Amino acid sequence: MPDTTTSAPNLQDAVIVGGNRIPFARAGSRYLGASNQDMFTAALDGLVARYGLQGEQLGEVVAGAVLKHSRDFNLVRESVLGSALSPTTPAFDLQQACATGLEAFITVANKIRLGQIDSAIAGGVDTVSDAPIAISDRLRSALLQASYAKTLGQRAKALATVRPKDLAPANPRTDEPRTGLSMGEHQAITTAKWEISREDQDLIAYNSHHNLARAYNNGFFDDLVTPFRGLSRDQNLREDTSLEKLASLSPAFGKSLSTPATMTAGNSTALTDGASTVLVANREWAKKRNLTPLARFVDAQTAAVDYVHGREGLLMAPVHAVPRLLERNGLTLQDFDFYEIHEAFAATVLTTLAAWEDDEYCRTELNLPQALGAIDRERLNVTGSSLAAGHPFAATGARILAGVAKLLHERAASTGKPARALVSVCAAGGLGAVAIVESA
Amino acid sequence: MTLPPIDRPGTVRELDRVPSLMALYAKALTPDPADVARLGARILPDALRPKQRTATIDDRHRSLPDVALKVRGVTANPQGLREYQNLLGFPRTEDLPAGYVHVLAFPVAMAVMAAPDFPLPLAGMVHLENRVDVDRTLTVGETFTVTAWASNLSGHLKGTRVDLIVEVSDPEGVVWRGVSTYLAKGTYTHGRGNDTGAAREFTPPLPTGSWSLGAGIGREYAAVSGDRNPIHLSALTAKAFGFPRAIAHGMYTAARALADARPLHGERYSWTVEFAKPVLLPEKVAVAITPHNAGGASYVGWNSKTGKLHFSGEISPL
Repeated sequence: MPDTTTSAPNLQDAVIVGGNRIPFARAGSRYLGASNQDMFTAALDGLVARYGLQGEQLGEVVAGAVLKHSRDFNLVRESVLGSALSPTTPAFDLQQACATGLEAFITVANKIRLGQIDSAIAGGVDTVSDAPIAISDRLRSALLQASYAKTLGQRAKALATVRPKDLAPANPRTDEPRTGLSMGEHQAITTAKWEISREDQDLIAYNSHHNLARAYNNGFFDDLVTPFRGLSRDQNLREDTSLEKLASLSPAFGKSLSTPATMTAGNSTALTDGASTVLVANREWAKKRNLTPLARFVDAQTAAVDYVHGREGLLMAPVHAVPRLLERNGLTLQDFDFYEIHEAFAATVLTTLAAWEDDEYCRTELNLPQALGAIDRERLNVTGSSLAAGHPFAATGARILAGVAKLLHERAASTGKPARALVSVCAAGGLGAVAIVESA
Repeated sequence: MTLPPIDRPGTVRELDRVPSLMALYAKALTPDPADVARLGARILPDALRPKQRTATIDDRHRSLPDVALKVRGVTANPQGLREYQNLLGFPRTEDLPAGYVHVLAFPVAMAVMAAPDFPLPLAGMVHLENRVDVDRTLTVGETFTVTAWASNLSGHLKGTRVDLIVEVSDPEGVVWRGVSTYLAKGTYTHGRGNDTGAAREFTPPLPTGSWSLGAGIGREYAAVSGDRNPIHLSALTAKAFGFPRAIAHGMYTAARALADARPLHGERYSWTVEFAKPVLLPEKVAVAITPHNAGGASYVGWNSKTGKLHFSGEISPL
């Protein structure tokens, strides 16, 4: 028996070293027939090639997919086995709806900080084009009963309960299970509550496309994206979109509300396919491989809201997570060089900002002494976000993290001062995850 | 703790089991000669139609039979409970949702209405409102006693109102009480009442949910509730009773709102619903739940296309 108990290890820095993703494709288009495993393996192999990790045993690979076949229970491990990484690299699947990628990053970064692993890849993948289609519950129940039947008679009896309508396939549902409302309809309600204008939403969409296009044209994504199936840029990107064009689109959500419908296909994210990764390590691991730490993980926070009973909007959880994160780190909302707020819908970004600017709301709903205040919009989603790039649900987190790490590194290099970013991702189920990263 | 007692009729008649709703409906729908005569009158042109029969009965106890029906040893069937929980969206636990207790106990109230001395015709009764007080949550293994009677006959612009009171008791006392208010349309035993009949002003709020109710939801609720009222089963059978399509069962909508509002109420609560326009199936019903600061919630459901009110109610701690 030992004489003393063990002591907790000192925390180490978890740093983002780089990232890689495949371009995001519009659903039912270029990646039709590509599975989650195909796409995630491609994203992994691109990362391995860029950072010379062939045959390396990493600490862990953690990623996930929101729409997943039941056969893909070990999707990430299977992808690792199909990649150029060492087959002795552990992996696991994680899922937190659209916050999957960010949550995977938080998970591996915390393990690295605790010294449990020295290196990791976090990421995510999703395909709407290869989404699982299930059989109906009644058919499934009959098949299961038949498979447990001991006699032919019992089996026949179980199968005899199947009705023709039970044979219709069950498509993955996109509605929130507890409210029956789609995410767009939920956001439309929040949009109406906060009286967000159509013009403001279209401007967010316009900036997203133009910022993403500029970043591509400046070569920003050259070491962040690997072409896949003939695509080298995000297919959803409309470099030539204008405010007039966006203004001409018909509303898609909120049409049955008593207020005017303002959300269109232009200011809402399109369904897309894609995969992304981000490489995270401790400083020593990076140094040994001559890799430059770009950004350091500071802290993260998740939150959830009661959208079921209308107490809060479905996509407003990050609004609640951020003040807790700021308080713990002694920061104000204005202490950031970059804000990456996932554009589930343009209106999501705007209701989030409006809530933080609202004194009454911040006092009553967030228990703050006053409003968090406004942010400098010039620092928001400066290389575009999900409206332009697309949003393959689980792949968004690592897309944001790899990009913002590079932005922070560039900013710190040019100013000689540290730079800091706030990352915010809303998710189905009234969930939200937010994180702070700083130049390393 | 149990629910405070209320006045019960002077006599109690005990039944050996909960009666079958099917048999009660069959009885209700077998026309008696007086009804046939009235129906004949209804298809006559207005001028030839005889004056509406307006019986005046001044004593409440003479007009309603002063008797309660009672059934001991009532218990829930686990499979039936699971199917009810699945359809309405309640968690699959051993607890009986308040709406399921209604399903188990209500046939006794139907038997009160189907009795020969009940003064109003059972066919075509309209459910106006419902209130349930819950003292504690019953569970699947328990047996309890159901007592039901009719009370409060009163005049209404469109006929006569009556309350059907159903009590569920354990050895300690009453733990669940339902008051279902019905309207016998066109039967005036108590005058026309002072209800102006003006529809309540309704402006739809922002919804918190949406129910896509398919054409078969009436049949699905019939299967889990045993209440096979033809107005809920198909367009054809509903047409026979004057509805253009099948209508959703009121207690389906009220119970689904109760399920949606979980877990805002405590163990003791009341659950009310007031029915406005029926839900003609299939329909997308918009729903808004508004939590109360003191616990509980109010809820409202309307047609998401026309904005017409279907139902509203409250769930409040007792």
